[in-house]
Amino acid sequence: MIKLIRLGKSYGNNEVLKSISMEFSKGKVYGIVGENGAGKTTLFRCIAGLESYNGEIISDITPLKNHLGLLLTDPFFFSKITGEEYIRLVCNARGKTNLEFDNKNIFDLPLTQYASTYSTGMKKKLAITAILLQENEYFILDEPFNGVDIQSNIVLTEIILKLKELNKIVLISSHIFSTLSDTCDEIHLLRKGEQIKSVQKTEFKSLEQEMKKITIGNRIEKLELK
Amino acid sequence: MKDYFELQYVLTNRKIKEAGLNPLLGYVLGLIAFILISEYIFHKTEFAKYLAILTCLSLQFRLSEKNRTDFLLSTFGDKLKMKIRFLENFIICIPFVSILLYKSFLFEASILFLCSIILALFSFHSNINLTIPTPFSKRPFEFSTGFRKTFLIFPIAYALTVIAINVDNLNLGIFAILLVLLTSLSYYYKPEQEYYVWVHAETPKAFLKNKVFNASKNATLIAIPNLFSLLIFYPSEFELILIFFFFGLLFLWTVILAKYSAYPVEMNLPEGMIIAFSIYFPPLLLLIIPFFYKKSISKLKHILND
Repeated sequence: MIKLIRLGKSYGNNEVLKSISMEFSKGKVYGIVGENGAGKTTLFRCIAGLESYNGEIISDITPLKNHLGLLLTDPFFFSKITGEEYIRLVCNARGKTNLEFDNKNIFDLPLTQYASTYSTGMKKKLAITAILLQENEYFILDEPFNGVDIQSNIVLTEIILKLKELNKIVLISSHIFSTLSDTCDEIHLLRKGEQIKSVQKTEFKSLEQEMKKITIGNRIEKLELK
Repeated sequence: MKDYFELQYVLTNRKIKEAGLNPLLGYVLGLIAFILISEYIFHKTEFAKYLAILTCLSLQFRLSEKNRTDFLLSTFGDKLKMKIRFLENFIICIPFVSILLYKSFLFEASILFLCSIILALFSFHSNINLTIPTPFSKRPFEFSTGFRKTFLIFPIAYALTVIAINVDNLNLGIFAILLVLLTSLSYYYKPEQEYYVWVHAETPKAFLKNKVFNASKNATLIAIPNLFSLLIFYPSEFELILIFFFFGLLFLWTVILAKYSAYPVEMNLPEGMIIAFSIYFPPLLLLIIPFFYKKSISKLKHILND
């Protein structure tokens, strides 16, 4: 279980998270949606302990960060580190040594090549492979489907469902609504740092319609396309 | 072209300001440091002229990077790009050619000047898609990535040791050991992105202990050929050789701890000055190491959620 109690975050006078309260249970997948700048990444960084915050974050296993697999939107790789070394590095950091991952390279990545030479999608797949091999209890996946090819997106959806089956807690943010509706049990909508609503699986369709309506509005008409 | 160099001047000034210095003072201090270091190296070894040439060419080599020269070509066109590259290499070689001329190495100075001009004609891919094997892949990070960036230095250091033994110059041999340790130390100068610290499920104390232990183990592994060769050929000087080696390791620890004492920002003038003082008076390390250690622990507490 992870519980956020009145979580707040400000940068000077700019309040980017306003009293967020959420509870995440084992064996469930949660979607966090919102426009750019809604506070999704900041929320994830607070949960991970990468940002200071007001309020409280409680988890059943502590410290939370030591059991958390964090996929950043844009994973960073050193210029001369190979894919294999990157996986070793992040697994060693969690005390996982003697790794045998020849059969676990499910995305068929060229692990002996430098990670910096990978494409955007390959980099994301490498970072996902690494956090899966860390054997975490909690997962935060910030835009996991972005830049990844369709085949890998299918594999990734199945991985998320498997994690759910294994009783893990998974938090995902995505701009592609269908990827969330396929995997999530509950979706939280953020707007300008505020928690607007939380929606159960049965109401996903209406949420999608509502988001479409708000997002698109009369923007297309404004273009006066001819 | 004038705009381009004015922009470079502004960017350089910005970097000096970021280091906490007034740009003018930065240039003066840089010049003084260059003269003092050159004097010291020319005084210590007869190979200083080669070191000056190598340093100058390696700086110019960076400016010949393919992406960079492609950018210059697409922005300024062929003629202007060539002018810029000639001028850049000329500016870089001025201090090195001057010091060689001052030390009466006329031939070497001429060769360096000629090479600088020729180098401006070429572009090089810095991102060769060839994975260089390293002995550090089991516990990767600083040494595996650093080794690949600086691997050419190690054959040079080993060759210097062989030369030192052949010409019976222990000082040169010790310089080769220090060159290896100094290279290892450079792997720890820049702070890594926060994810690479955050990901560790360790207390700050255990994190630092592992960093220092791995750095010492790996640096020793690279320095072993130099160290053993000197110990075999100069058994009567084993104390001196080991003292220099251990001081090198102590500086390596100091730089690691200094890095995390400033983390997540880059080490700056205060840390640099403290380290520079300890080079002149090494016993200071006994105070500096615990000081940086305590500061590092407090800086790492937040990110490691201790």
